[in-house]
Amino acid sequence: MNQGVSQGTTAADAVTASGPAVLEVDDLRTHFFTQAGVIRAVDGVSYAVRAGETLGVVGESGCGKSVTALSVLGLVPAPPGRIVGGAIRFDGTNLLDLSEAEMEDIRGNEISMIFQEPMTSLNPLMTVGRQISEAIALHQGLSPRTATEKAIEMLRRVSIPEPERRVHAYPHQLSGGMRQRVMIAMALSCNPKVLIADEPTTALDVTIQAQILELMRELQDRFGTAIVLITHDMGVVAENADRVVVMYAGRKVEEASAKILFDRPGHPYTTGLLGSIPKLDVAAQRGGRRSRLDEIKGMVPSLHRLPQGCTFAPRCALATDQCRAEYPPLIEHRPGHAIACWRADTLLAGAA
Amino acid sequence: MSDSAGVESVQPLIEVRDLKKHFPILKGVFSRSAGTVYAVDGVSFHIDPGETLGLVGESGCGKSTVGRTLLKLLEPTSGQIIVRGEDITSLDPERMLPYRRQMQMIYQDPYASLNPRMSAGEIVGEPMVIHRAANADERRDRVAALFERVGLRPELMDHYPHEFSGGQRQRIGIARALALSPELVVGDEPVSALDVSIQAQIINLLMDLQDELKLSYLFVAHDLAVVEHLSHRVAVMYLGRIVELADKTDLFEMPLHPYTEALLSAVPIPKASARSRKRVILKGDVPSPINPPAGCHFHTRCLYATARCRAEAPQLREIVPGHLAACHLHDGGVKFPLEKPAAA
Repeated sequence: MNQGVSQGTTAADAVTASGPAVLEVDDLRTHFFTQAGVIRAVDGVSYAVRAGETLGVVGESGCGKSVTALSVLGLVPAPPGRIVGGAIRFDGTNLLDLSEAEMEDIRGNEISMIFQEPMTSLNPLMTVGRQISEAIALHQGLSPRTATEKAIEMLRRVSIPEPERRVHAYPHQLSGGMRQRVMIAMALSCNPKVLIADEPTTALDVTIQAQILELMRELQDRFGTAIVLITHDMGVVAENADRVVVMYAGRKVEEASAKILFDRPGHPYTTGLLGSIPKLDVAAQRGGRRSRLDEIKGMVPSLHRLPQGCTFAPRCALATDQCRAEYPPLIEHRPGHAIACWRADTLLAGAA
Repeated sequence: MSDSAGVESVQPLIEVRDLKKHFPILKGVFSRSAGTVYAVDGVSFHIDPGETLGLVGESGCGKSTVGRTLLKLLEPTSGQIIVRGEDITSLDPERMLPYRRQMQMIYQDPYASLNPRMSAGEIVGEPMVIHRAANADERRDRVAALFERVGLRPELMDHYPHEFSGGQRQRIGIARALALSPELVVGDEPVSALDVSIQAQIINLLMDLQDELKLSYLFVAHDLAVVEHLSHRVAVMYLGRIVELADKTDLFEMPLHPYTEALLSAVPIPKASARSRKRVILKGDVPSPINPPAGCHFHTRCLYATARCRAEAPQLREIVPGHLAACHLHDGGVKFPLEKPAAA
């Protein structure tokens, strides 16, 4: 257990996101049909992620970021949920055309997912070794003994101390950080091409979060995994994602490289989000004086009753009559920087 | 507002001396003692009138227990709690009553901390009933005023908690805490369950209320950026002890404890330039407070630990004026940036 001072990632910066997309979500619409009406949880969302790339998906509760991910894996509870439009292409195949049996070959094998709460996503009655080897045995047809050996190897890969002993441990015998490592070991056991991480570190303490994020970066560098990192934490995105998609009320409102998004955001919601986060370095620069945060007034609209026009307009300081009347199209204002906002030009000009 | 350290003549609103809270672990039908959780193990600090003291640390470090023990929601195992010069540590519940009015709490989970069978107005007015602070008419007026003060429409008084969003519920919790015009409010992770845009609204509200009502806050949270933003001074806890306590600017610019240094460097910063910064990544997990490591509790994860750290627990002491740290590194004078002693 040697400790070290490590330099922040540089490998991710070098990835210039070239090559074809491994996973492509195209105009996806996932709606929930409830007694209270239709909830458009995901309403025309598109994004793509390439090998070795990390795509950050950010937004607040109910923005549709997790439902998009569940749709990719075919895990949306139906009923009430149904994918009513769009396509999800993995290596060129539209996953929505596949049968459940065919999806099973892909889920956990080619595309894996890490969930937020390791305690509720692990089976409490099975040893971690069996849970990891179950996936390997299922997808790669290994004998139980080789599967266990593979499980030990996976635990070692995610830096769990004493893997030969831990392979026989039950989830409750492990700490939160170790359980999340087990989840990652399970997700990576079949060398997936795509890893979807839904708030992978939200339940963890910051020093443990730093360990887990570093582990994910190392594994990505070694295996070229495409990562979709879903989170509400703008700091986690800034330090880990190559490109970022910002979602609001079921739609993508902005997409840009992480650098552009944080230096020159083009959507008032993104600007608002960034302004509303307390920042460590800024707090200190102000010489100890406290300042008010820029807050976004009001709250996220209910998906039952979305406002007419741009769904962000009621909370937006820049909103005009046009914003309240018509939803803005997603337009590429600069290469690689797409924004769905009628006032984006004003905002970008002001930031310049 | 960071002048609290310099002015020594002000009597602190509340002071805690060597506070300890140990929980016995009981086993079997005869509840025999099977060990002790050293949740809070000798903590001292004070809070001045109108000041916010932030208390940060990771899960299990004892920060919430400090908040609860301070309000005597938990009986302290030992140590002293002094309010405006009066030692309240051993007061019985009846004699505690007037002090309880002055010290209120805001909880983390706006979904679990409100009684679902009471209307929002009843929840906010309940402390006035318990302390017989107002008759029904006065109460209604005061609840309406409190609603307005925390940014809720008074018409919502007759609605029930499930009809409110998370941010609104937290406003109800704040209004209730303010019902008896307290001097000290302990916030136990009051914004951690909220979405970022709502979190900013509540943080602003808490700061406005403090300026207006001259409240003192003990703000307990794990989010360093939030604590830095709200606090005047910050105390960092690790395994039941305060390892560093300083004015927030000093703490951020010159962390003198290796744990503070690691915590600060682990917080992701929402900026494009944050990627390339140098980072200290700690190995391993926080040890159990049931059987904390000997010597300095942090030595098992510390980058700079020496043989002495494994044997002898460092005392929290003033390293530079107003800046306290519990670390042997500074024994021969302030060492910043931190580095491992040449001869171990």
